[in-house]
Amino acid sequence: MKKILSLVLAGAMCLGLLAGCTSGKPTETNPPAPEKTDPPASTQTDAPAAPTEPAELTGTLKVSGWDMEVSGSLFKAVIDAFTDANPGVTVEAIDIPSADYGTKLSVMLNGGSEVDVFWVKDADTIYPIANRGQMADMNQFVTRDGMDLGIYNGQAEDFNIDGKQIGMPFRTDYYTLFYNKDIFDAAGVDYPSNDMTWTEFEELAKKVTIGDGVDKKYGAFFHTWQACIQNWAVQDGQHTIMDTDYSFFKPYYEMALRMQNDDKTCMDYGTVKTANLHYSGVFADGSVAMMPMGTWFAATMIEKVKSGESSVNWGIATLPHPDNVEAGYVVGATTPICINAASPNQDLAWEFVKFVCGAEGAAAVANLGGVPALLDNDTLKALTSVDGYPDGALEALQVKNMVRDRPVADKVSEVNQMLGEQHSLIMLGESDLDTVLADMGEQSKSIQG
Amino acid sequence: MAVKEKAGREAPPAPKGGMTLRRRRTLVGLSFITPNFVGFFVLNLIPILFALLLCFNKWDGYNPMEFVGLDNFKYIFTHKVFQQAVVKTVIFTVFSVVITMLLSLGLAVLINQKLKGIGIFRTAIFFPYVASVVAVAAVWQMLFQKDMGLINEILRALGVADPPGWFASTKWALPAVIVVNIWKNMGYYMIIYLAALQDIPTSLVEAGMIDGANAWQRFWRIKWPLLRNATFFVAMMLTINSFKSFDLIYALTEGGPGTATTLLSQYIYNQSFVSWDYGRASAAAMVLFAIVAVITLFQFRLEKKFSD
Repeated sequence: MKKILSLVLAGAMCLGLLAGCTSGKPTETNPPAPEKTDPPASTQTDAPAAPTEPAELTGTLKVSGWDMEVSGSLFKAVIDAFTDANPGVTVEAIDIPSADYGTKLSVMLNGGSEVDVFWVKDADTIYPIANRGQMADMNQFVTRDGMDLGIYNGQAEDFNIDGKQIGMPFRTDYYTLFYNKDIFDAAGVDYPSNDMTWTEFEELAKKVTIGDGVDKKYGAFFHTWQACIQNWAVQDGQHTIMDTDYSFFKPYYEMALRMQNDDKTCMDYGTVKTANLHYSGVFADGSVAMMPMGTWFAATMIEKVKSGESSVNWGIATLPHPDNVEAGYVVGATTPICINAASPNQDLAWEFVKFVCGAEGAAAVANLGGVPALLDNDTLKALTSVDGYPDGALEALQVKNMVRDRPVADKVSEVNQMLGEQHSLIMLGESDLDTVLADMGEQSKSIQG
Repeated sequence: MAVKEKAGREAPPAPKGGMTLRRRRTLVGLSFITPNFVGFFVLNLIPILFALLLCFNKWDGYNPMEFVGLDNFKYIFTHKVFQQAVVKTVIFTVFSVVITMLLSLGLAVLINQKLKGIGIFRTAIFFPYVASVVAVAAVWQMLFQKDMGLINEILRALGVADPPGWFASTKWALPAVIVVNIWKNMGYYMIIYLAALQDIPTSLVEAGMIDGANAWQRFWRIKWPLLRNATFFVAMMLTINSFKSFDLIYALTEGGPGTATTLLSQYIYNQSFVSWDYGRASAAAMVLFAIVAVITLFQFRLEKKFSD
């Protein structure tokens, strides 16, 4: 008897292994049709004594974003701007730490209608969420309100999947070159120009690598993300990470390996990775001369200098470009804002989306030094004149063409994960470059089927 | 048993309040196990049965499930990362179990002495087990750091010209993870061995001493056989825990570099929360379950054989 009991208990213990792998339950996916409480403005003309302004909005919206309590949060800024303009609406912000955002958002959406409106952090998670039918199609609202999506310079089309407008472009971030003026001055070298090829960048890094040992200043810094090498290979718009022949990565990996292993002009990947160095710390403490990084980093640097955490005298230049394209070809990502298909507040949710992606939202973003998706030269001028932005930022941030670092496509998160794993093998020198590139191709083919 | 007999003797013969004593006792007993059983049922059993269902379906966690037969198993068995994960999990388990057992037994023997301040040593050895995984991982990442980590500094001082890259090396990441896992768990198993050692009647050991057995003979001939039950328990718990090891490795390496430390549980996590494919994740979880179940049954057999 005792044996059997202990067997059962041990069995239960093993079974415990399997628990926790499942959650949620299937939910109906058809987005509820929006209630037509607000007739289109054009038909409102014959309404008796109708005010020309739309009725005041009321209700409660649950909006999820990440790191909203961090000072300078753009999400918080636009939410505040919206509630100031619409005092009848209460916005409940669901604040999630950025590292967990992707997973928590998906779990929340699988749970049903816990959230009405959400931002999507990682470009590779957009398609899977849309594919599950959790993003409401905003076409009906766009048509109803007669909105022109052309104002987003083609970014709105990125979130159009099979004719469904599943997201609206909220903010745009693209890679640019941050540099440390103090190191350039110490080395007696001119600051980086806004028109520089990656080859010229590599040469320049040699000139601004100074010192030895703990005092060494590195000419360049590539953060450990695969984006910080692979992005330069897709920058010309000829390839995407969904290609299955990755030979186009080769010149950029060769460059990075040369700089890391032979010239020692950039910090060693293994050191950065295993010491958990964050790019913001490395740049802010003045150890590197040049760092290609997203435009979001400008707001961080402004904050760090203002708070006295960093005394680096920094500047911005246009991202170096491949030989076959001109300066101003950049690579980046647009953060979309989406409506939960299962939300019962579709109309109010749309009003919020329209506001934050519109002129008022863009102004709130630009006031904090962020780059709104609704970007024209005036907005760019406004944001680069935010206190703390370095001189010349307006010229440096000019964009001629922007390609997405991760396309909105099926299986992109699996491919992205695989490329990340392989990236570390190359940068650690664990495998021969050609072997890894060939293996990437094989795995990508097998993932994409 | 003793309680039951005692209760039987004292039980009044006549039933009270229309309910027999037996029935009342049964109900009281049931009420004691109900909270635990409800918890087990809702939090374990239902999800487990659901996972069993899931491994034959394709499910993203939101849309209706789609029956796919054995496709999920076909996929994972032909997936290189999965195959490697199985091999690595077995390597991880074998090394973790054997070394942790030896070390925890050794420590238990050493610490099973009447010394001043022995409590401090016991606490020190047990402490890693209760420490937060994240904190432990952060400290070990620093110790194993390839350029300025303490371990490589010591190796260099000892004359190793090119010490391993540890977490930055596909060859050395798994051994490094095993070391941390052993260090983290040995205190707990030491306590189990310590309790078992203290249960051994001193008369037996003293009898051995009188018969002229030396320290090694006293351990090997008297104590070790009496530790059999503890050893089986430790081996089984260690095996199960090693197979399902997740948090420590996730915090240390997230399965990297490349897929060097992607064990089965990490693979299951990736399938669930990166690919959002619960079917494949459940299929992999079933494989993990099958492996552990077979090993556990084998251990039970072994125990039975030895106790006969």
